[in-house]
Amino acid sequence: MPLFDDLAVSAVVFAIALAGMFVNRKNLVVLLMCIELMLLAVNTSFVAWSAWWGGLSGQVAVFFVLTVAAAEAAIGLALLVVVFRNKRSVDVDTIDTLKG
Amino acid sequence: MTAAHLLVEGVFGFFATVLVISALGVVVARNPVHAALFLILSFFNAAVLWVLLGAEFLGIVLVLVYVGAVMVLLLFVVMMLDIDLVVIRRGFVRHAPLAAVVALLLAFEIGYVFWARHLGLVSLAPPLRPGTLPNTRALGLRLYRDDLYPFEIAGFLLLVGVVAAIVLTLTHREGVRRQDPSAQVRVEPARRIRLVDPFPKGTPGKGGEGG
Amino acid sequence: MSLDDLVLGVLLLPLAAALIAGLGRNLVGRTGAHVLTILAVALAFLASALILRRVLADPRPHVFTFYTWMMSGGARFAVGAWIDRLSALMMVVVTFVSLAVHVYTIGYMHDDPGYARFFSYLSLFTFAMLLLVVANNLLELFAGWEGVGLVSYLLIGFWFERPSASRAAVKAFLLNRVGDLAFLLGMAVLFAAVHTLSFRAIFAAAPVLGRTPILGGSGGMTVATAAALLLFVGASAKSAQIPLHAWLPDSMEGPTPISALIHAATMVTAGIYLVARLSPLYVQSATALSVVLLIGALTAFFMGLLGIVATDIKRVIAYSTISQLGYMCAGLGAGAFAAGIFHLVTHAFFKALLFLGAGSVILAMHHEQDMRKMGGLRRFMPVTYITFLVGSFALVAFPGFSGFFSKDAIIDAVGRSPVAGASLAHLLLLGGVFVTALYTFRMVFLVFHGEPRMDEHTRAHLHESPLVVTLPLVALAIPALAAGWVMFRPLLGGSFFAGVFGRLPHGHPLGFVSRNPHLTPLAFVAGAFSEPSFWLMIAGIATAWYGYLYRPAFPARAAAAFHGLYRLFVQKYYVDVFYEVICARAGWLVGRGLSTGGDRLLIDGGLVNGSARLVGAMARRLRPVQNGRLYRYAFVMIAALVAVLGYALLT
Repeated sequence: MPLFDDLAVSAVVFAIALAGMFVNRKNLVVLLMCIELMLLAVNTSFVAWSAWWGGLSGQVAVFFVLTVAAAEAAIGLALLVVVFRNKRSVDVDTIDTLKG
Repeated sequence: MTAAHLLVEGVFGFFATVLVISALGVVVARNPVHAALFLILSFFNAAVLWVLLGAEFLGIVLVLVYVGAVMVLLLFVVMMLDIDLVVIRRGFVRHAPLAAVVALLLAFEIGYVFWARHLGLVSLAPPLRPGTLPNTRALGLRLYRDDLYPFEIAGFLLLVGVVAAIVLTLTHREGVRRQDPSAQVRVEPARRIRLVDPFPKGTPGKGGEGG
Repeated sequence: MSLDDLVLGVLLLPLAAALIAGLGRNLVGRTGAHVLTILAVALAFLASALILRRVLADPRPHVFTFYTWMMSGGARFAVGAWIDRLSALMMVVVTFVSLAVHVYTIGYMHDDPGYARFFSYLSLFTFAMLLLVVANNLLELFAGWEGVGLVSYLLIGFWFERPSASRAAVKAFLLNRVGDLAFLLGMAVLFAAVHTLSFRAIFAAAPVLGRTPILGGSGGMTVATAAALLLFVGASAKSAQIPLHAWLPDSMEGPTPISALIHAATMVTAGIYLVARLSPLYVQSATALSVVLLIGALTAFFMGLLGIVATDIKRVIAYSTISQLGYMCAGLGAGAFAAGIFHLVTHAFFKALLFLGAGSVILAMHHEQDMRKMGGLRRFMPVTYITFLVGSFALVAFPGFSGFFSKDAIIDAVGRSPVAGASLAHLLLLGGVFVTALYTFRMVFLVFHGEPRMDEHTRAHLHESPLVVTLPLVALAIPALAAGWVMFRPLLGGSFFAGVFGRLPHGHPLGFVSRNPHLTPLAFVAGAFSEPSFWLMIAGIATAWYGYLYRPAFPARAAAAFHGLYRLFVQKYYVDVFYEVICARAGWLVGRGLSTGGDRLLIDGGLVNGSARLVGAMARRLRPVQNGRLYRYAFVMIAALVAVLGYALLT
């Protein structure tokens, strides 16, 4: 299994997630999911490189990314709940209080 | 190419395909609940890929922790919220071309980096390095011995995330009885217990006649 | 008692008295204030006399260092004393006049609410002047110099509730600042060349400085010339020489004792003292000497002319002071340093006498200073009249009076001086003799002779001044009469100033006097009658008599006939107008230009508000970018990512 295959999968998933952020620009929930997907793609890339070089550094990085992603998911979901509670919607367009 | 290689290639091809398809499903699903389920599916597939790459521990962690905790939480939240699907889907088709262009551009760039710049390198199969240590043990040594401080910081980060999530969602709703530890601590017996005389003077007691 | 203890006593007694009388004036009260200060100054006078006696016995300069003021880059600035016959003589004169003025002030300021403050200032001034005199380096001298300038400001503006007094004080202060700036520059020039400001080093280096071109150049001005000229600008501000004289007449706004002490006898002589003190430097620069000589002679003549038209008695004396300072300057410039200092001493006595006499008159006239409203006062105030007359004769240099010896010595020295411009200066000084006699006796005749012109009320109350006023008059009249006889031989002919002053490279500085070391005062007096100066003086007195006693209508006709000239004099050569219109207005315009153009427009408007406005404008432009749309932010981020990645790949 060449390294390129893994990296290609990783790149494709990343690009899909990116496209998802564009097409689902109104839906906060799916936006969060796309971010998770992106992190997954990046992690996959890390693991592939780690396997290629035979070192553990890539896996350690994945470990930390997972940790941060978990925290991010927790806070992001909390924010999502708060937003929904206040706006009765997860429409991103309704969240523009911070405009200049 | 040996049979073992062929097997690995086949397994990889299958799971990689499912991963890409489920990722597409996350993006195009109408219902957020479906999207969340697709996401879980892609996580499972990615975990398999990782195991194939020799990162057994991380693959298991991804399933246990990420799918088991984070994704379930996500699913739970999505189901809990009453999302208006019509409003949410607005503009999906209109933005699709732009999304495709940007995504392709990015994929092309990434591929260019991997392929054109490191051609030859990436087309080779990874050198087989039979690990002297099991993956979990090696990672554990690395994390608890070499990267202890980053590990501690990561743990603390999670703690902060938990606290932040709780603080964000904590609400004091009117008419709902809730615990107030401060008030509990401050309480005094005199305020709690009021001694009443069950038999005030001049009132005939129930059992008074006998005495 | 050792000499340095005496010097310290002379310095510190007046300072202590000033501090106690000034800061603790509620504690010591009015009587306490004057008893204390007079006691201090009297003791200082006695100590000064003792010092003079010591110095007479031992002519070498005694140099002390009391303490090191500061060390700066290897240069040491000390507070010390340079006691030689010049400084000792000055100390005696300063303390004596100061003592007389202190006593006189008891009577003159009797009804003033600022009584204790006044005594405090007087003593403080005495201290500053003494510091200036005893200094053994230029910086210390400058400290005293600024001290007298400060006290002068305080005393001119003593009656600060009068706008004219405040204005005069500020004017004096500002004009002195001009001189002080030059003084500082002069010190800087010397310091750059000698790397110290002590007199000893400067005197030792003077011959070298006289040959060293300034700024390391190859020709042009020497260091000695530059330093001497700059210091002389400072001296000319303090000693009211043209063109920085304008403050002195206005300083008459201060109380009369101040006019006597500061603006006649002591402070204004600081400039003269400075030049005399630095004579070893000045003799190295023919240019500087010529400038000093010519400025002095011009001042002596043209400022005397103004005295003829002034109507305020104190202003007349003020102009005479400027004129006499011009004589001293001319003497110094001619190289006759001893004659200049001699005139300084005699002038201190008779000018203080004249001022105090004028003060006595003003007191009797209920603070009326206009001579046109006086007249015939000799009948009411005999003591004042006699003493004033003595002072006047000394001022016009009538043979036998103290002023005669010193002034004729100066005129003679200038006439024979090898310094360039001496012949012109000589003519001006001779003209000055006539002018001096004219304005002095015009004043005497207007005030003491003729018909009384004051109103009935004032006239009814005319009486001689009290003893505290007349006593100093008499005390000052004695040296005004006799000082010349006593000091003529030692100061001019003898060896009193041996080694104190620098010597001109060629020609003897003291003119004929020193060539006849055996010339007696009597012979000098006898010789005066064949000199033109004597006859010019007589002519001046006669003119005054003709114009103000014999034909009182004559001055008005003369004024009408020479209308333009008269106007020029009354307007004081338009110097004040020049300062006001050109200097002050220009300064004001520059200030306003800098204020509106530089400060408000450029700094406030451009830099301060401008930068804030710029930030505001940029923020207004950038604000729409921050539109709160989450996906826009995400899009920008992704687009930027793609773009940067693409850029990195392409390059």
